[in-house]
Amino acid sequence: MTTSTRRSPLTAPPFTPTTAALPTAALSHTGRGADAELDRAARRVLLTNWRGHATVPAARLYPHQWSWDSAFVAIGLRHLSPIRAQRELESLFGAQWPDGRVPHIVFDPHVPADAYFPGPAFWQADSQGTPTSGIVQPPAHALAAWLTFRADPAAARARGFLPRIYPRLVAWHRYLTTRRDLTGNGLVSIVHPWESGLDNSPAWDLPLARVTPVPTGEFTRRDLDHAAASERPTDTDYGRYVRLARDYRDAGYADSLSGHGFAVEDPLCNALLAAGEHALAAIAAEVGADPAPHRSSAERLTQDLTDVLYDRGSGTFFPRDAHTGALLRTYSIGGLLPLIVPDLPVAGALIETALGDRFRLAEACPPPSYDLIAVDHDPVKYWRGPGWINTGWLLWYGLHLHGSAELADSLRRRLLDRVRRSGFREYFDPLTGIGHGTDDFSWTAALVLDLLRTPPGTGPTSLGAAGLSGSRRISSGWSSRLSRRPGVSRDDQPESTATAPARPGTGTPDVAPGT
Amino acid sequence: MIKIACQEQLLPGRTLQEKDAFAHDAGFDGIELRAKGDHAFRDRLPELRQAAREGVVMPSVCVDMAHFFGAFDPKLRRDAIDQLKSQLSVIAEVGGPGAVACTPASWGMFSRRLPPFEPPRSEEEDRVVLLEGLAELGEHAAREGAILALEPLNRYEDHMVNRLDQAAELIDAVGLPSLRILADTYHMNIEEDEPTSALVAAAAHLGHVQVSDSNRFQPGAGHLDWAALLSTLDAIGYDGWLAVECRLRGEPATAVASIPGFLRRNDVCVPA
Repeated sequence: MTTSTRRSPLTAPPFTPTTAALPTAALSHTGRGADAELDRAARRVLLTNWRGHATVPAARLYPHQWSWDSAFVAIGLRHLSPIRAQRELESLFGAQWPDGRVPHIVFDPHVPADAYFPGPAFWQADSQGTPTSGIVQPPAHALAAWLTFRADPAAARARGFLPRIYPRLVAWHRYLTTRRDLTGNGLVSIVHPWESGLDNSPAWDLPLARVTPVPTGEFTRRDLDHAAASERPTDTDYGRYVRLARDYRDAGYADSLSGHGFAVEDPLCNALLAAGEHALAAIAAEVGADPAPHRSSAERLTQDLTDVLYDRGSGTFFPRDAHTGALLRTYSIGGLLPLIVPDLPVAGALIETALGDRFRLAEACPPPSYDLIAVDHDPVKYWRGPGWINTGWLLWYGLHLHGSAELADSLRRRLLDRVRRSGFREYFDPLTGIGHGTDDFSWTAALVLDLLRTPPGTGPTSLGAAGLSGSRRISSGWSSRLSRRPGVSRDDQPESTATAPARPGTGTPDVAPGT
Repeated sequence: MIKIACQEQLLPGRTLQEKDAFAHDAGFDGIELRAKGDHAFRDRLPELRQAAREGVVMPSVCVDMAHFFGAFDPKLRRDAIDQLKSQLSVIAEVGGPGAVACTPASWGMFSRRLPPFEPPRSEEEDRVVLLEGLAELGEHAAREGAILALEPLNRYEDHMVNRLDQAAELIDAVGLPSLRILADTYHMNIEEDEPTSALVAAAAHLGHVQVSDSNRFQPGAGHLDWAALLSTLDAIGYDGWLAVECRLRGEPATAVASIPGFLRRNDVCVPA
């Protein structure tokens, strides 16, 4: 052993690896290393659930690619690999239908056909040979694409990410604003509870009650193989879901108000679309297209959303039954999430409602999916009470957007604490913090990673390059491919080298949607 | 924080001290040595000891011979094992506890993808030879307080150990903690379905990492996703070295000097 005057890196303890499987007890709860440990654990979940082109939401319960999951996953994945985040969105939009719809599931042909119900055999749909479902999920993708671009503009430009994804995002939004404007009032309708993202929410009980369930003997659920029945939808509800999807399929996935047994104008979908149009305006400016139509569309959507779905007396948005025209007056988290829309005129009132008894935003965490004081609130049942990290992240984003930085920072800290204590669960009891559903859930990990990489006080409007620790960017090319000089390595003959112009890693103006 | 070493032949300078000065200025943290056969590495001991005394950090050595411990010829096999044992002893002395000696099973001896396609030894016989060699080398490494890192090579350079899981299986069969896997990003790019998934799966056995890009040139010259690779190494808790072993595109000194900056720019790990 010799002494080193510079450093002695080899005196450190031997390498002790950590495994991909994440024992919750292994996460330290306090101390300076706690955030770093949580950051690594979040990345291990994303690495484990990566399938080479996309991320599965959970290895067993959800073994394919889900549409809005991929949007949230990309928002976190950009901190692990900006290129991988781009691929996540590209692989989803690679299965986009010719009519512009982005299917809610893109099936992995390598996964056994019966691993998930309803599977490819049920939907009988495909996009150029790739099996997909035929319904959609909330349009979080434009926002995700913009945030992904902002993580590393140079790498995105080198791959032509935005020029390729922009027309697909436009087609996706056009599908929603045309084919899915079932009542002609400018708002998008969802035609299946699964399209809301808040699948089993009490918000859908009333319109769903009109649907005749398919008898349980006619299908086999697979979700109960992996989760407790007490936390999942009932067989009757599942029978209704199957009926709606089967009718849609048998109608050739045609959209018309009379053709859909269930049609609801949903605040979350329309809010994400409005926020997405703001993102498309920013993307359009980046790719040299005209941002003005997107800004107009965002303004129009914001106006319609507020005029039609906002209830001033209740201080929240309600979904609207497209068949009856009646507001569905249940308090679900979706009614607060228009907070993600820039320039929303009723943001202050929404935050007041969020802080009130129904959602207790200052302490309940993640924010409950459904009214805490409703008699049918159930803190463990799928979308009927527990809190999800993605809706928490959207509220955090919206709070920053509308100037409530202090509350946003508090929510950020509490979301991180919840996951640190309970693991990367699918959802949580908002009051006790007990985790439920599947473990190692991808968007929980992804959005935790995004929150960790967004320091308190900064918020999403300053996201982007800053979200990648300042100036770290992937070089778009090797900047010294300038001369033909032999290499000096041992193992091969020198090769002639093609000269390529150095591409400077240019930055981008620090502008976010809505600013 | 990643620790980056550069193989000595890539660095300009006549002596290890001169090479180290260049490496230090460029942002490298150490030098990976190269060991030729005929005990040439042992014969360098006076030079290596002097460099170590002067603060040159030499955490690892990479074998640089024409035959390897998986050779078909028993005499060449015997010689390769003797050479490697000597290299382990030397690197343990000048590199300190935990220093690494690197070797593939073989290199350039046979490829199942090139004529005549069928090797003169069966897979079962290969396995016996590899397990015997690894056991002897692992025991010697343990005695010296060093690590022997087994490097899977791509299918055109070796026919026996191409992927991390194959190396892990052999190491498990021997059962010595002094045996680890060397993950080389260039070979992984060819052989692994998904290099980052392979690293996660091999985390418990990972002992050393060599870096070059998809085209064997310096990191940044090809199309590897360095952010994903480096983030994965950090996420699995790897705190060993990244040793640069590559060809160089462009003016050599400029190309070498650019590597630490490139890797650190793509190291999007959580700040320490």
